[in-house]
Amino acid sequence: MSATLGGRRLWAVGLLVAVLAIGGALSAQVVVREDPLDAEVRRIADMFRCPTCQAISVNDSEAAFSVQIKDKVRRMLLEGQSEEQIKDYFVSRYGEWILRAPKKQGLGLVLWVLPGGAVLGFGVWILNRAARRARDVRTARAGGGADDLTPEQRQRIERDLGRFEEGV
Amino acid sequence: MMRSWKFWVALGGVLGVVAMFSYGLMIDPKLVKSPLLDQPAPTFTVTRLNGTETLSLADLRGKSVVLNFWASWCVACREEARVLQEAYLDLDKGKGQARVIGIAIQDTPEAAQAFATRYGKTYFLALDNKIGEISLNFGLYGVPETFFIDLQGVIRFKKVGAVTRDEIYNYINQMTAMKESR
Repeated sequence: MSATLGGRRLWAVGLLVAVLAIGGALSAQVVVREDPLDAEVRRIADMFRCPTCQAISVNDSEAAFSVQIKDKVRRMLLEGQSEEQIKDYFVSRYGEWILRAPKKQGLGLVLWVLPGGAVLGFGVWILNRAARRARDVRTARAGGGADDLTPEQRQRIERDLGRFEEGV
Repeated sequence: MMRSWKFWVALGGVLGVVAMFSYGLMIDPKLVKSPLLDQPAPTFTVTRLNGTETLSLADLRGKSVVLNFWASWCVACREEARVLQEAYLDLDKGKGQARVIGIAIQDTPEAAQAFATRYGKTYFLALDNKIGEISLNFGLYGVPETFFIDLQGVIRFKKVGAVTRDEIYNYINQMTAMKESR
C-alpha cells in the first residue's frame, strides 16, 4: 500500500518537473521569437535619455516624448537608416545630452578614459611605493646603506651610541 | 610649517572636484544649449487648426518668426497665451515685422481649439502630428518652448518655459539689428 503511494508521489513529482520544463522551454521560445525590428528599436532606444524623465532611457519610459522617439527610431529603421544615422539625427536635435553613453571621441573620450586611467595610475603608484619600501627593507636587512654615511655622520652615530651605553 | 607641493596638488584636486559637483548640482541638467541655434530651422508645412489655410515655414523667409510650441494641457502655456496674442496683434498684424505661429503638440484638435478660444488666440495655430514630427525635428523637451527664427530662416534664440513680452521684443529687435548690420 505504502509502496503504491510512494510510486504515485514519484509520478506526481515527475509530472510536475515535466510541466515546468516544457513551460520553461516554451517561454524561452517566446523570447527568441521577438520581432527583430522590435528588438532593434528597443536596443537603440536604450541608448537615448528620456527628455522628460529623470535618469531613465527612452526604452524604459512611456512618456509621450519617449513614445514618439521610439516611433521615430522605428520609422528610420524601416527607411533603411543605420544606427549611426539615427544617433546623428537625435544628437543634431538634442545635442550629446541625449546619449546615455558619451561618444568615444573628443571630450567624450576623456570621460571614457579618465576613470580607468585614474584607477590604473593609482595602482601603479601603490605598486611603485610597495616595491620601494620592499627594496629599502632588503637594503637595511643586508646591512647596506651604512656605506652611504659620511665620516661626520658615522662619528656622530658612534658618539651617540657611546653616550647611550654610558647612560645605561 | 611649509607644506610640500604634493599637499597643494592634492588640495587643488579635491577642491576642483568639489567645485565641479557644486556647479553640477546648481544647474538644470535639461537646460542644454540647443545644437539648433544658429542653424537653419527645420522646415515643415502645417494646416491651420480651423482648417482654413496651410503654411510652410520656408515661405516665411524675409520675416522674423516667433515659433511657439504649446499644448492645451500645459499650465505655463496659459501664462504666456495673452503675451503671444498681444505680440501677434502688434508685430504681426500691426507692424508686419514678424510672424507669430503656434504649434500644439501631443494634443487633440478639439482640446487645442477650445484652449485657443478660451484665451482669445487668433494667430496661426496648428497641430503637430501624432508621431511628433515637428517636435522631434526641433529637439523639444517639453512645452512651452519658443524659437526665434531670423529673416534668413536661421534659429537665433530659444526660450524654454513661458515667454515674456520683453523677451519677444528683445529678440525680435536683435534679429532686426542683425539684418541691418549686414
